[in-house]
Amino acid sequence: MKKYFLLPLTLILAFSFQAPAQPALNQPGVSQPGVKQRRPLPPEYGRVIIGQDAENAQLSPVVFEHWIHRSMFTCRVCHVDIGFAMKPNGSGITPADIQRGYYCGACHNGRMLHGDRSVFSGCSLRETAADQERCERCHSYGKNVKSEYNFARFSANLPKERFGNGIDWEKAELQGLIQSTDFVDGISVKRSSLAVQKDFALSPKVESMPDIIFSHKKHTVWNGCELCHPEIFFGVKKGTTKYTMVDIFQGRSCGACHSTVAFPTMDCQRCHSKPVQQ
Amino acid sequence: MRKLAIVVSVLVCTLAWPQQLAAQSQPQANAAEQQAFQREFDDVCSRTQGAMSLTRDELKDLVRRCDALAPKLAKLDQSQRKVYKRRLEQCRGLYAYVLDTRKDSDQ
Amino acid sequence: MVVQAQQLYVQAVPPEDQFGDVTLDGHVTPNNGPVVFNHWLHRAKFTCRVCHVDIGFAMGANRTGIDAKTNQEGYYCGACHDGKRQFGNVTAFASCQPDGVAKANFTCSRCHASSKTERKYTYKEFTAKLPKARYGIDWMAAENTGFIKPIDVIDGISIPKERIKNRAELSIHPQVQWFTGIHFSHELHSKWNSCELCHPEIFPTQKDAPANISMYQIANGRFCGACHVKVAFPVNGCNQCHAQGPMWVAGPGWVM
Repeated sequence: MKKYFLLPLTLILAFSFQAPAQPALNQPGVSQPGVKQRRPLPPEYGRVIIGQDAENAQLSPVVFEHWIHRSMFTCRVCHVDIGFAMKPNGSGITPADIQRGYYCGACHNGRMLHGDRSVFSGCSLRETAADQERCERCHSYGKNVKSEYNFARFSANLPKERFGNGIDWEKAELQGLIQSTDFVDGISVKRSSLAVQKDFALSPKVESMPDIIFSHKKHTVWNGCELCHPEIFFGVKKGTTKYTMVDIFQGRSCGACHSTVAFPTMDCQRCHSKPVQQ
Repeated sequence: MRKLAIVVSVLVCTLAWPQQLAAQSQPQANAAEQQAFQREFDDVCSRTQGAMSLTRDELKDLVRRCDALAPKLAKLDQSQRKVYKRRLEQCRGLYAYVLDTRKDSDQ
Repeated sequence: MVVQAQQLYVQAVPPEDQFGDVTLDGHVTPNNGPVVFNHWLHRAKFTCRVCHVDIGFAMGANRTGIDAKTNQEGYYCGACHDGKRQFGNVTAFASCQPDGVAKANFTCSRCHASSKTERKYTYKEFTAKLPKARYGIDWMAAENTGFIKPIDVIDGISIPKERIKNRAELSIHPQVQWFTGIHFSHELHSKWNSCELCHPEIFPTQKDAPANISMYQIANGRFCGACHVKVAFPVNGCNQCHAQGPMWVAGPGWVM
């Protein structure tokens, strides 16, 4: 009697088997409360490790640095037009996608120009040592790969701010020190211009904390509308959805960006900037 | 008992078979169909910036057109399908969201 | 039973001149031994905030990830110890210099224990004139009487922001009934720490969070214990927080 159950049982087990979860390399808001952890250094902030479960065991996971890309493009180009998810491994990028000109391959195709140079192509066949070196420009996790762009040199003359990358990206753009492109030929959809969105104040639960002046205008200039609505902010009526700081520190609502990529919410005064009316 | 075991085994095999096979068995879109999809997508999703100034009827129409595009995703190649699924989600999501905010108003 | 409980919870304090010392032994070589960082020397000159918020040191030995490369790039110790930065008439010596230069100046041994270690400052001499507490230095009195003037803003490192008017002083009620409540001074803590040092990592921003903190966690270096076990006045002195705690709770290693 028992042996007749062996086969179906084995089949059930076989189809339900999943690879054991790898320890995550990036996870905002997950740490043991009550201790002060290490904070990422300015060049490390915004770093995303992609492809831990890469099929090709010969290549290390990809180390993606936000700082170099955000100095050239708005958030919208990558996260709406190209379609990157905002979580590591959330897009399911494969080498085939890149070779066909999607995701990283939308720009990293050997043809797109950056200044007077062409952007190196990603995920091409590895035939020569030079090809292998090119793979390691991205697949560099755990390797001592010398990057073409040096953070110290890059950020030397940019206006400074606290935490995160230590750079005031907004001021840098205002002063013309960086130019964030919002439209990439062949990828972006030609859109009508955006009506100026109104800024508004948000009141915190804790009475003694200053109000937050949320600049809709600044956020839409870089993100457009669909990056945040409705996925990150689904409330339809202003003031009805309550977000707590715990939500934010754990990567929800404002924390979707402002925990690992945009200026971190550790900098209280950047948001809580309106004096409380006495 | 033996028959039961065989029946269960067969059921498990058929039910647990990956769904990708079903998707892959659909014929891929030819170049013309892909271009048509692209044109329609670009037309529908180019209006997200101005969503706040569209009327309810216009928004409903855009949502309907997004829904009409969704089944055509299955005919695209794997990479395109992934990318456009996400983009369509965001685009449709925004129109539906803006429509939601107008629930109580006349426009 | 109480004495047994104490042995389970709270460790005995080290000699006063070793209190606050952090041993960093992540990068020990035959020539460079572990680094013993003296808190007393730095906290006489700087607020906690400068190092733990502006510069970004974590609060635990070997937790920050300091190495020669980060120091040379101007992070962590290298943010001040770059051979150029001046504090008053003292120039902070350069840390972790390339080999050739280091050998000539022997600055390695200012931090790294070695046969040549010659510390410029000793605890006894440095703290001779500072007001003393029952255990160690009374840093608050030292600042109030003007013996020390901790620097809170360092050019090129700190970006001063307007202080948020912090919450009123809090009363924290212990879970154990026979201990009196703690009067927690937000004002005094934020003077040296500002908000970011504690929130949200050490103290999550939940209204009822203090109710869920136990002495066991504190004694193990979490929450209040992040500072008040190894650097700020230790929890061995109950009555410094529990102002009217029972006096009969005492035992070896406790400071009353």
